[in-house]
Amino acid sequence: MAGLSTDVLVIGGGATGAGVAWDAALRGFHVVLADRLDLCEGTSGRFHGLLHSGGRYVVKDPKAAEECIAENRILREVASDCIEDTGGLFVTTPSDDRDYADRFAEGCRATDVDCEEIDPAEVLREEPRLHPGISRAFHVPDASIDAWKTVWALARGAHERGGARILPYHAAVAIRRTGDRVEGARLRDTRTGEELDVEARVTVNATGAWAGRIADLAGIEGVRVLPGRGIMIAMNHRLVNTVVNRCQMPTDGDILVPIRTVSVMGTTDVHTDDPDDHTVRQEEVDAMLEDGEKLVPGFREARALRVWTGVRPLFQDTKDDVADTRDVTRAHTLLDHTERDGVGGFVTITGGKLTTFRLMAEETVDAVCRQLGEERPCTTATERLPGSEDGEHYVIGERLARRESQLTDDQLICECELITRRKLEEALRRRGTDDLGDFRRVLRLGMGPCQGGFCMYRATGIMHGLDGMSVERANDALLGFLQERWKGVWPILYGDQLRQARLDDWIFQGVLDVGHLRT
Amino acid sequence: MRPTLHYDAVVVGAGVAGLTAAARLAEGGAKVCVLAKGVGSTHLAAGTVDVLGYDPERVESPAEALPELVAARPDHPYALVGVDAIGAALGWFAERVERGPQPGYRYVGNLDRNQLLPTAVGAARPSALVPETMAAGDLRAAEPVCAVGLRPLREFHASLCAANIARSGVEARAVEVPLDADRPDENALAIARRFEDPAVRRAFADRLASHLREGERVALPAVLGVRDPHAAWSELESRLGRRVFEIPTLPPSVPGIRVFDALRAAVRAAGGRIVMGAEVVGADRDGDRVTALRAHTAGRATTYGARWVVLATGGFASGALTLGSDWVVRERVLGLPVRGVPGAGEPRFGPDYFGDQPLARAGIAVDSAQRAEGLENVLVAGAALPGAEPWREGSGEGISLASGHRAAELVRAEEGLAAAA
Amino acid sequence: MTEVLHELLRGSLDHCVKCTICETACPVSNVTPLFPGPKYVGPQAERYRVDDEPAVEWSVDYCSGCGICTQVCPQGVKIAEINALARHKVKQQRGVPLRDRLIARPTVLGRLGTPVARLANASLRSRPLRAGIERAIGVHRHAPVPKLAGRTFRSWARRHQSPPRVRRVVYFHGCGTEYYEPDIGEKTVAVLEHNGFQVEIPKQGCCGLPLQSNGLFDDARKYVLRLARALAPRARDGALIVGNATSCTLMLKREAREILGLADDPDLKLVSERTYDVCELLLELHDRGELKTEMRPVEETVAYHAPCQQQGHWIGKPALDLLALVPGLEVQELDARCCGIAGTYGLKRDKYEIAMAVGADLFRQIRDSRAGLVACDSETCRWQIEHATRLPSAHPIELLHRAYGL
Repeated sequence: MAGLSTDVLVIGGGATGAGVAWDAALRGFHVVLADRLDLCEGTSGRFHGLLHSGGRYVVKDPKAAEECIAENRILREVASDCIEDTGGLFVTTPSDDRDYADRFAEGCRATDVDCEEIDPAEVLREEPRLHPGISRAFHVPDASIDAWKTVWALARGAHERGGARILPYHAAVAIRRTGDRVEGARLRDTRTGEELDVEARVTVNATGAWAGRIADLAGIEGVRVLPGRGIMIAMNHRLVNTVVNRCQMPTDGDILVPIRTVSVMGTTDVHTDDPDDHTVRQEEVDAMLEDGEKLVPGFREARALRVWTGVRPLFQDTKDDVADTRDVTRAHTLLDHTERDGVGGFVTITGGKLTTFRLMAEETVDAVCRQLGEERPCTTATERLPGSEDGEHYVIGERLARRESQLTDDQLICECELITRRKLEEALRRRGTDDLGDFRRVLRLGMGPCQGGFCMYRATGIMHGLDGMSVERANDALLGFLQERWKGVWPILYGDQLRQARLDDWIFQGVLDVGHLRT
Repeated sequence: MRPTLHYDAVVVGAGVAGLTAAARLAEGGAKVCVLAKGVGSTHLAAGTVDVLGYDPERVESPAEALPELVAARPDHPYALVGVDAIGAALGWFAERVERGPQPGYRYVGNLDRNQLLPTAVGAARPSALVPETMAAGDLRAAEPVCAVGLRPLREFHASLCAANIARSGVEARAVEVPLDADRPDENALAIARRFEDPAVRRAFADRLASHLREGERVALPAVLGVRDPHAAWSELESRLGRRVFEIPTLPPSVPGIRVFDALRAAVRAAGGRIVMGAEVVGADRDGDRVTALRAHTAGRATTYGARWVVLATGGFASGALTLGSDWVVRERVLGLPVRGVPGAGEPRFGPDYFGDQPLARAGIAVDSAQRAEGLENVLVAGAALPGAEPWREGSGEGISLASGHRAAELVRAEEGLAAAA
Repeated sequence: MTEVLHELLRGSLDHCVKCTICETACPVSNVTPLFPGPKYVGPQAERYRVDDEPAVEWSVDYCSGCGICTQVCPQGVKIAEINALARHKVKQQRGVPLRDRLIARPTVLGRLGTPVARLANASLRSRPLRAGIERAIGVHRHAPVPKLAGRTFRSWARRHQSPPRVRRVVYFHGCGTEYYEPDIGEKTVAVLEHNGFQVEIPKQGCCGLPLQSNGLFDDARKYVLRLARALAPRARDGALIVGNATSCTLMLKREAREILGLADDPDLKLVSERTYDVCELLLELHDRGELKTEMRPVEETVAYHAPCQQQGHWIGKPALDLLALVPGLEVQELDARCCGIAGTYGLKRDKYEIAMAVGADLFRQIRDSRAGLVACDSETCRWQIEHATRLPSAHPIELLHRAYGL
């Protein structure tokens, strides 16, 4: 079995894990970052894209609000390219408690969340699709953040600046525990079956909702994470260009986030035992559509693209005397197992929200330093990520502008998301994978309105045409994509999207007859 | 509202079913108008006439399989129209294409044996009637295939196609021939227009010839012209000295556009009128008869009085049937009752994309004379009919032609118009 | 309210299923790679546009505004309208050149030019002068600029007494008739009166269409509302409004309400409901059995081209049905999408070649048809066809006028 030796092994490649890798690399540590799937496929890859201003928490959880606004300001600088400065609104709709608005304003003042009350008429001019009955409105510095871009920038940065090894598709099958020390882990490449032994001075468990499982592997008790599952619906176009929140106590279906070319409606909160449970329930979908109407009249006539679930990591420490599960916190939790369990070389970071990943990573790497007896200061609050050097925010027209300059140069493969042939070929060569799903996440291939109807055949053909791809694998990639895509489409399939799906059926099953490809 | 224009029959929808019904009605002497909100299925489908491809196993002989299907599935549109109607409609169609605006172009095949044509991804697809320009691709023949990719066409990937053809037992390989283009992306229709020029064809053939091997037949994406495909295809065959065949690609479908042109010509030749962009938004009724249709016109609605209406509006793909976010299925033009819809609480879709999809077989409820439930003078044809999953069965054109043809015959019989013309 | 309507128009992009049917029909993207096509520029790019962010795509300026994409779209996407709004934004950002401001105001050009028509027409035939104009303001030297009539239709209309009848129509003649083809206006009036209408011709201005297609939305709104105010009182009295310029009547019927966001204006709403194309009106008359059908034979072969903005009325081609009534007249229906001129588009130096390429198929069909005359409902199309084929072109109403022996 092959082996690696490193300072810090990070298990979990979401925003937190990648953030730890970046932070540790900047501090001069050698890092190995591993995830059982592609990077950013856990909770980070399944949320609604909101970079919190903290407004959501100013009344219910002021500490979380303070953390959010502080991190919001930092990330806008260091991860500028991953963020679109949409701004945010908190609006009191006819379905909301009017009194909350004053508490909200007061809460913002108390937590330093920038908040400016504006005339509802002005809001309706800016966002004409919003409910005309809005009675109060506030501007806050919410924004939308592209998680994949962020995670990959962090990983790339860790690699470029610190030589970190980035290992997607490597599952931790065992934690090496010798007496009262954790000394690393055994990883398995899920694509090839090969195993890799990683020896690490400190192992960081950054697996979020799966943290309990990894802690179990290390023989550590009582790390209990209650997954809170929520659905999100992507609407075909940006119904609003500002993040819109309902001005009330946080509840289901009260946020609408414009991110890239879609607007995402979210979310619900259902306790589940299994963090890999991605069931979408009809009642949740129906409730979400209703909630959408409250914010945007005519929401039901707009086109819903797909629905997916994300799982929040809600940590409960069963070592404490907390019996009541209702008070499980949304704040993040760092467990230094030396102190808590007498096991050295192991740290768990869980809970939290994407907005605070940098802070979570900082605290984690601080703990790593303590364990190693070294003092190395954190620089992630000022160090810009690769791609964000110029401090410019992402602007949605970017891809369109880029395409305009290449109109006569290059073929468009995915038209909905403006992906050119060159870009796809580059990505295919770089990643060396035949899971079209990977490209879906990073390039947004097939994530537009036609959901791959037109681009999937082209992409499969191009992929097959590059060296070394067997036709069996190409066929599997195409069929696999169709199945994967269908999962997120059928629970929300009505109206325009059903029309699209039917046309796609005619193309794939009729014209192409992929259903009868020999497998 | 007082009707402003009057017709014997108004056909709603300009897909295969609608144009067939309109042409047949006009040929019988009826004053016919087609109202369509846009171009129909023709431009998106392969351009072959698929009668029955899978039931669910591959069907070798529709003539043999149809009586069994009709007996086993009394809800199927073929059971409604009767097996004989299919043959009659196909015969009519083949004749109209031969007489049509594309000189010398014709369809070949019959109901006795399905032809097995390669798709753009290289799967083998059964079709009953195919354009002559595709027939040489039949995979039951052993002749090796050379699939030709044309840059800048991104809708056809020759190596993937050839690799899959090879898996069905026919030797196949791929070559790429660049076409001069002023842009990196050209769709099949743009290339087809260029292939109308004999000089372009000559240059292409010369460039391709050196790539070809002994004994190979040549597979091209379907770009052999819109106006005169017969000339383009036969010229290539003779210049290359071997058989050439087209493979249908993603929309826009050039063979499908030819079908549209041929059917439209048939409607016009018989004196029928086609109004594009006129979406039907309502109807006037008198008891159980529709007396007029109201169609969207710039500024207002125009009323078309009609004694008969043929609704060939398509299914969910065209938006004629809609599923709202309240999960209720509606028929959008006349609000007619829909059959085959899963009940409340029952699944509409299955999690396996290739598995059972209950909603697929929904359609407008009709009686044995294709009349919409509750109305005396409204007939339904095409994909709007319930009981079939045409994209999966490979029965789309068969259903459209047969039901459109039969709807016209039924109306003609009622009107006492010439039975066979 | 305008913003909501604007948003809902944008929202029609939701209906796009990428079927490519609009691309097959777009006459411009099929002849030049400079225009990526209606699907791209319309519903696809619209997902990337945010109102208060600058426009980034200049290629939308190559859209000719013919509207064929919206007509053929089977899903109901308002493609041409989305394009028009996007182009408006691009032009606002870039600035609207002097040329566009000039050619978008046919009333100004007409009023200035009519008193000196002979001189103006002669100058516009002068090659060196045209070359100079092309360099100075960008009107292509070969562009089919029409000839001023030297008199206005209004001057005739003021003197004309329409016999009082029960059935009344208001004649909306448009700028083409007013300054360039007053004889067509006289013939239209004659045909209407022959069929029992009293024809009222109120003082009227431009419908604003050229301003709209050149991105000058505020001015376009002023003009079209002024026109609506002039016509609405008659409509309220029960008269129908009839016009022979199919682009202008389409502007009143729907384009102004959709693209300029004027759907709520009550005068414009009434006017749009009461506006008819003259062939449309006569066909309805015929359907009721009230059209005069005694006609003299006209022994000619005529090719008919329905302009894209006539097809945008969604009424089929009533001119064909009417011409079929004329004994001896052989009519060939041409099957081309667009002549290329698209109003003022084909006059521009950077668009003229594209326009001629767009119309090439039509011109070839005309030549192959052996027709001696081309019938066409729109004046700018007639001028383009005459320019490209050297054949005369007439409004269908002129043939009816001849057949009636008026």
